[in-house]
Amino acid sequence: MKIKFFSLIKFDLKKDEVDYQLSGSKSVKEIIKLLDREFDNYFSRKLLKDGEIKSGTIILLNGRNIRHLQGLDTLVENKDEITIFPPSGGG
Amino acid sequence: MDYLERQKMLFTEEEALKLKQAVVYIGGAGGLGTHQALELQRVGVKKIYLVDYDKVELSNLNRQVLYGMDSISEYKVDQAKKTLESFNLPTIIETKVEKISKKSKIPTDVNVILDALDNFETRYILEQLAWKSNVPYIHAGVNQWYGQLTTIIPGRTLSLKDIFGEVDTTKEKVSTISPVVSFMASLQVIEAIKVITGRKNTLDNKLLLIDLKDYSVEIIKLQ
Repeated sequence: MKIKFFSLIKFDLKKDEVDYQLSGSKSVKEIIKLLDREFDNYFSRKLLKDGEIKSGTIILLNGRNIRHLQGLDTLVENKDEITIFPPSGGG
Repeated sequence: MDYLERQKMLFTEEEALKLKQAVVYIGGAGGLGTHQALELQRVGVKKIYLVDYDKVELSNLNRQVLYGMDSISEYKVDQAKKTLESFNLPTIIETKVEKISKKSKIPTDVNVILDALDNFETRYILEQLAWKSNVPYIHAGVNQWYGQLTTIIPGRTLSLKDIFGEVDTTKEKVSTISPVVSFMASLQVIEAIKVITGRKNTLDNKLLLIDLKDYSVEIIKLQ
């Protein structure tokens, strides 16, 4: 499963994607734990507040915002692609 | 010869006519809006509506290209109109000092709306107006070296809220430079040209993510 990072997240991590091999499905919450292990808890700090998704960072699963799926409980499989980025608000 | 001579071969006669008759609403006369207006005037659209309630501040001048030192404290749209009209090109520039709200009206002759706003709260309001008026809405946002762009076609694509969810940008102070803003604004104008002329390969139900720090470009198919 591929996770792609964009804009400020990519800048912070100095990495634009990671690839994990999943056996079976995992929830987004579990994926964040995997990422936290690799990136020193960066993702739970960046994405979560009181166990919920913070506003301001978008998590897309195959192009769909997980807020419109099952949020952090959305299940992810090995063939899936996650995109994480904070949308730029300026104009 | 006319001033559009050098773009004639890019368009069919029918497309050129559509552009000549096109009316574009620009919501916001900041970085994106000033660049968009300049480009649309050069493309030769019929009319541009430019809407903003703000006055020019010193910190705007690094990227809001229709203003200079003499514009400080003046309404943005008045200064924008003055600069654009100084070129004596045929595009009609209609301006309005207005904070975009649910009560705002999209004029009935508008073919496309360009998002040139600086926060998501107002973007969602303008987008709602676009859906109500059944007019395509071309979104872009910038921050630092980054930007994103997507086209919303009412009834045919996801809405901005479907894509981004609740985004709170009220406390966000964006830093950026004119070339990044100009780049994103130009892409919006290119997208507007495609939407107006009915071309394919537009960014509806696609999200274009751009990072000008390393020139990476990604298109995510939205569903």
